[in-house]
Amino acid sequence: MQRRQEALAGFAFVLPYALGMLLFIILPLLTVLGISLTSWSLLDTPKFVGGANYLKLLSDRDFLGSLAVTGLFTLGILILNITVALALANLMNLRLRGISAFRTLIFSPVVMPVVAWALVWKFLLQPQGPVNTSLQGLGMTDANLLLAPGTALGTVIVIEVIKSVGLNAVIFLSALQGVPGEILEAARLDGATRWQVYRRVILPLISPTFFLVFVITLIGALKVFTPIWVLTGGGPSNATTTLLVYMYKQGFGFFDFGYASVIAAVLFVLILATTVLQWNLRRRLVFYEE
Amino acid sequence: MPGAGDQRLRPARRPWTLLLYLMLVLVALPFLLPMVWMLLSSLKTSAAIFGSPFQLSSADLRLQNFADLFSKYPFARQYFNSLYILLITVPVTLLFSALAGYGFARLRFPGRDLIFLLTLAAMMIPSELTAIPQFLIFKTLGLTNTHVPIIVLQVFSATGALAVFLMRQHFITLPKELDEAGRVDGLGYWGVFWHLLLPLSRPALATVAIFALLNSWNDYFNPLIYLNDERLMTLPLALQRFTDPLGGVYWNLTLAAGVLVALPVLAAFLLAQKQFIESLAASGTKG
Repeated sequence: MQRRQEALAGFAFVLPYALGMLLFIILPLLTVLGISLTSWSLLDTPKFVGGANYLKLLSDRDFLGSLAVTGLFTLGILILNITVALALANLMNLRLRGISAFRTLIFSPVVMPVVAWALVWKFLLQPQGPVNTSLQGLGMTDANLLLAPGTALGTVIVIEVIKSVGLNAVIFLSALQGVPGEILEAARLDGATRWQVYRRVILPLISPTFFLVFVITLIGALKVFTPIWVLTGGGPSNATTTLLVYMYKQGFGFFDFGYASVIAAVLFVLILATTVLQWNLRRRLVFYEE
Repeated sequence: MPGAGDQRLRPARRPWTLLLYLMLVLVALPFLLPMVWMLLSSLKTSAAIFGSPFQLSSADLRLQNFADLFSKYPFARQYFNSLYILLITVPVTLLFSALAGYGFARLRFPGRDLIFLLTLAAMMIPSELTAIPQFLIFKTLGLTNTHVPIIVLQVFSATGALAVFLMRQHFITLPKELDEAGRVDGLGYWGVFWHLLLPLSRPALATVAIFALLNSWNDYFNPLIYLNDERLMTLPLALQRFTDPLGGVYWNLTLAAGVLVALPVLAAFLLAQKQFIESLAASGTKG
């Protein structure tokens, strides 16, 4: 009786969220896999085509291109974000008067609305805008960072890292502040130089944080859509078309629902694999003191 | 916390300190300058905007851009749209996540672990992946080009799932003896939840409220899909509407609008920095 009551209450508490979640997230997720097996555009009725869409992927140069762009984008974000975040965290950790103002400044782009952030940069990066004209003044006569295929992706990466690196920096900062003082004292008494202490004591001690930051940055990079879409719309000549951008173009530009769903399925598998890998590695790789 | 991972500076090294300050200023520039540039440019004419941002001759500076936003465009309407959507999504997210969080953390019922696992899935999947079936659902219901899908998806997708997850983690940390004491005093499950546990949950609710608020205010993908009518658009879409018929951007208006979109959020951040950083760190590391 008591158990039944508890079960009923449990259902009732969870119901408002669970019902909506099942209907609007989980059901669509399953449906997307189903739609990926059909040929379906806005005007037709869906027609079952089996794995044809998946086969089409393999010979679609634009898809393979977007896979490569996603890889480069993710790699660029990972390297730049993590190195800059660690460097910034060390600066934030300096014992200086007014250092909290520095922390605030570095973090503020994180709360800045993403479209406003992207649009300021788009303004600054116009062909005759201040950034390009400065570079032209320095001798790079045809500098056009956002609109040249060679530099567009890198530029988008830098803009995205400036926007979001403050978060990782703060996470690193709290890890640095959590390193116990006695250990550092002991290392110094043993004659370790400041660099040795940093390299051999502090970095290993914050390795769990490294792993955490690596994973959230990796998964986060796979999810980036808005800044890319606002800055370049995937251009020039697909140089910044990631999987997500390509999916959007196929689904809501050409209304090819079947093909867009295949791309969604591929991305889903990528994110799922990353997440599962993360859970397995988290247990094995990282030195936990707790 | 007097952490020791820091590099202690001896006060004697004055020149070094000065050099460090100089470096900090230089490092901060790329973070600060875009925002300053936006603010200053929002005060200029479309012609003066391309000069140096710091040339502030009084002839250039004016508030005309802001007036134009409201007189020549449906910007007030769009601002209202974003605001009222936020005023629905944030309280609903708080309510649903607190309810579900309590259910998952404290009550045993069949299927609980499965539903929680699905919530975790909803938390990790980018909302973009499920966009096509969702679009078909709302199209069938005749709800495209309304705010319904924007609100519904905000409440139930990644943001809502993350809120549920965080509330569950929070309720798990509260001692179970509280519930038992409440039960002895004759409170039911609802009474325990509402009168005992929720009042102890203000920090967790604040964390959820902040990222729910930011995500609602910044939501771009779903409005992009569902809203065609200019008067229904929310702010992130509205920012891209200040163009001439050929698509040339009126930057002075765009940046002025950007200031009005960013200012409330940045001001709130400055007033409640600690809570914002905690909230974003929680949503970043858990999501």
